Amino acid sequence: MTFTLRARLAVIATIVSGLLLGGLSIVSYNVLARWLDEDVTARLTELTDGLHGYLRFDGEVPTVEYNANDSDQASFVHEATRYYQIYDSATGRLLAQSPDIAPLGLSLTRSEVVLLLATSQPSDITTPYGRLRIVNSPVAGPGGRTYLLQVGVSLRTLDASLGRYRDLMLMLTPLSLLMAAAGAWWLSGFALAPLTRVAYAARDIDIATLGRRLPIRHVKDELEEVTVAFNETLGRLEQSIGEMRQFSTALAHELRTPLAALRGEIELALRATRDVDLQQSLASQIEDIDRLTRLIEHVLTLARAESGQIPLTFGAVDLGELANSLVETLEPVANARTIALRCEPAPAVVALGDAGWLERLVLNLIDNAMKFTREGGCVIVRVSRHDERACLEVVDTGIGMTPDVSAHVFERFYQADPSRSSQSGGAGLGLSLVKWIVDRHHGTVSVESTPDKGSTFRVALPAFTNTRRS
Amino acid sequence: MRILVIEDDGKVASFIQTGLEQEGYAVDVLNHGNTAGEQARAVDYDAVVLDLMLPGRSGFQVLRDIRSRKPSLPVIMLTAKNSLDERVAGLDAGADDYMAKPFALAELSARLRALLRRGTPRESVLKVADLEMDTIRRTVRRAGASIDLKPKEYSLLEFLMRNSDRPLTRSLIIEHVWDIHFDSISNVVEVHINSLRNKVDRGFPIQLIHTVRGVGYMLTDSAP
Repeated sequence: MTFTLRARLAVIATIVSGLLLGGLSIVSYNVLARWLDEDVTARLTELTDGLHGYLRFDGEVPTVEYNANDSDQASFVHEATRYYQIYDSATGRLLAQSPDIAPLGLSLTRSEVVLLLATSQPSDITTPYGRLRIVNSPVAGPGGRTYLLQVGVSLRTLDASLGRYRDLMLMLTPLSLLMAAAGAWWLSGFALAPLTRVAYAARDIDIATLGRRLPIRHVKDELEEVTVAFNETLGRLEQSIGEMRQFSTALAHELRTPLAALRGEIELALRATRDVDLQQSLASQIEDIDRLTRLIEHVLTLARAESGQIPLTFGAVDLGELANSLVETLEPVANARTIALRCEPAPAVVALGDAGWLERLVLNLIDNAMKFTREGGCVIVRVSRHDERACLEVVDTGIGMTPDVSAHVFERFYQADPSRSSQSGGAGLGLSLVKWIVDRHHGTVSVESTPDKGSTFRVALPAFTNTRRS
Repeated sequence: MRILVIEDDGKVASFIQTGLEQEGYAVDVLNHGNTAGEQARAVDYDAVVLDLMLPGRSGFQVLRDIRSRKPSLPVIMLTAKNSLDERVAGLDAGADDYMAKPFALAELSARLRALLRRGTPRESVLKVADLEMDTIRRTVRRAGASIDLKPKEYSLLEFLMRNSDRPLTRSLIIEHVWDIHFDSISNVVEVHINSLRNKVDRGFPIQLIHTVRGVGYMLTDSAP
């Protein structure tokens, strides 16, 4: 399965942006989490250190003393004592506890208290009310006693913020990816559009319009290079076609003039002599020159036709009338060879074509059919209309062809049996001209043949319709 | 009758000259077109045979020179190219006829004759020996007996009779009698000549329709 270049470019760009966006989201989430975490730990340390200054021991009971009229002090202490508890490290007894920490079930045994005294790292615990970060610090009490002070802060705000950030990223990343994909599709289309334009413009150029060039935008980009290179190729092609055309014209002139002189001199000699043998030999030379002339004519017509030098004039051509008049003209020729030549025309089968070239087409097909039909055989020209096609069939009861012969009949100089060419007088160009004419009319030609039974050549041409007339 | 031939190829010019002189024309040859205009004015020519590809001034320019001095002088153009465009361009430029090389001498002289005869009224009754054609009633008789001809046979016979005693090439006959360019099916003419022979000559001691080797056909009562 292949995708267009545009699709492939868009997919690659989307994958790259997807990886970038995903990576960016993950990294930013982690950095943010770390920063927030560090902030919380710093605040917790600050709160714990501060709380030490407000602790007083009244006998064995520690109390927090502060000036309630000082709002700074009050709010600080309020925050620091939200989650706190104090244990006696000697007995493991709970000495004080804030109301908010009580329902969390964080009661410690004595051994735990002793263990925690040595732990300065804060630890996180999960409670039904959200996560809590707790830091342990030893407090020196009166009489050399050591107490364990635990101060905690809720991580609920941090978790909530991170969660919201994650949700935002989960929503934004696919959305951005979608936009990136759309952007990539548009961008690759934008980048490739000039290339497509070049392709369309190039497709319009054929052998008859080789003089055309693709427009140059003078922007000196990569695409301009392609266009310039293509134009240069066209230039070289035009030049060689031009040389070919010149060659065929020069060839025509260079061959025809000496042939004219030769033919004229032979004709004069023929007039001068009374010797019958000499007359015969001279006459046969003239016939050879005429055959050579016809051959040159055919080759040049085909060369000119194929290099796009022959303009066609399109109009309405009644195929039935055309076939009928040609059959009438050729009937005596067919009769002389006792071949039955018939036309089965249909009324109003009008093709869109060049009358002169279509006449040549039908003539060549009939000529070909008669060439390969034995005496007593029959050649039928049938005209019919199928939808938008004007169709012509030339059916013969001739010698027919094997499939490997019929595959080549439209090729130039193709002769199924080279020994026949001299007797039939053809050079194997008639059918290749037929093919060229059909091609120039945007029609189709095909052949169906059975050895010893005969051949059927079918031509379908675009029909001339009323809508075209307007 | 005096003909001016402007042709740069010496051999072609020479056979045209010889051929036309044999038919009784006086022929002058120029191998370039530079002085053709003056020559045409100075000498009272009846027709010009002009090659299209000449060194120096092209055939078209020479044609204009001639036309500017002698507007009605018949000109036959010769060319080594045979494309339809070229033909149209030649006739548009004011040539009266146009022939592609190589051509038959007989055809050149037939075309010249046709041009020189231009303007003279056509006879309505044609006669060769005991063969008679009434072109108004479209009837043909030989030795008084009526001959029934198909339309193409009639046109062919009329063309042969109007050019009797002159050999006619197949291509000339095709161009005048048929309006199709056959090049491969050249025996169209042969077939029609045969059927015409059957109707016109069969049973008569003197044969009128003759085959001229290397050229074509001729209608004449004096055997060549």
